[in-house]
Amino acid sequence: MQEARELTILDMEASVEHMSRGTVRYCDTLLIVVEPYYRALETAGRMAPLARGLGIPRVYAIANKLRDERDEAAVLDYCARHDLEVLARIPFDEAIIEADRSGVALIDYAPGAAAVDEVRRLAERLAAQG
Amino acid sequence: MKIAIAGKGGSGKTTIAGTLARIFARQGYAVLAIDGDPNPNLGVALGIAGPELASLNPLPRSIVEEQADAAGNKQLVLTRPMEAVTDEHGVVGPDGVTLLLGGRVDHPGAG
Repeated sequence: MQEARELTILDMEASVEHMSRGTVRYCDTLLIVVEPYYRALETAGRMAPLARGLGIPRVYAIANKLRDERDEAAVLDYCARHDLEVLARIPFDEAIIEADRSGVALIDYAPGAAAVDEVRRLAERLAAQG
Repeated sequence: MKIAIAGKGGSGKTTIAGTLARIFARQGYAVLAIDGDPNPNLGVALGIAGPELASLNPLPRSIVEEQADAAGNKQLVLTRPMEAVTDEHGVVGPDGVTLLLGGRVDHPGAG
């Protein structure tokens, strides 16, 4: 069912504990951002089943700060073992650090950055889900 | 679409949330961005200037309530018209994205 091109996007508090309460249960999609290191992956691994238990229909991982193929493989491997689809693979990008340092939105600071391009593809994939 | 973005602190979730909001807004979506983090940074990631952010009123908990729809599914609904909410608590940033500070709404069961 088409909801007239409206988007609500909620930037959540970081900790796993907050997953069990609050407005997240009213979302139709949860994106769990993961970096390619063990503790970040473990956090995603704990969040995903909690989110599914709350009845959130679509739960995905977003791989972020990927520096090389080993980083990518680490995230893909972990997520495959935890039945978690990786919807975007965002490369490590110096532009993000520079945008942060300047207090400027990434899309204004570096509209052509590789990371922005991958977020555009993420938007297309999300829109295709309806 | 109602999308929540989670992840460990420092994972880049806020940058991704802000960028995603701007991209959807440019495609013609009416975008409402809610900062649910007690240390809010989404405004900067959206490109909203400091003075405007400093004047933002966080949403009071009473702004939403749970209601069951005809099928008995619980929905979160605003207790006041959206326009009034964004007038008093929101700021409109680049590409027309409306930002709300929702840290208090995120935990209706808390306190």
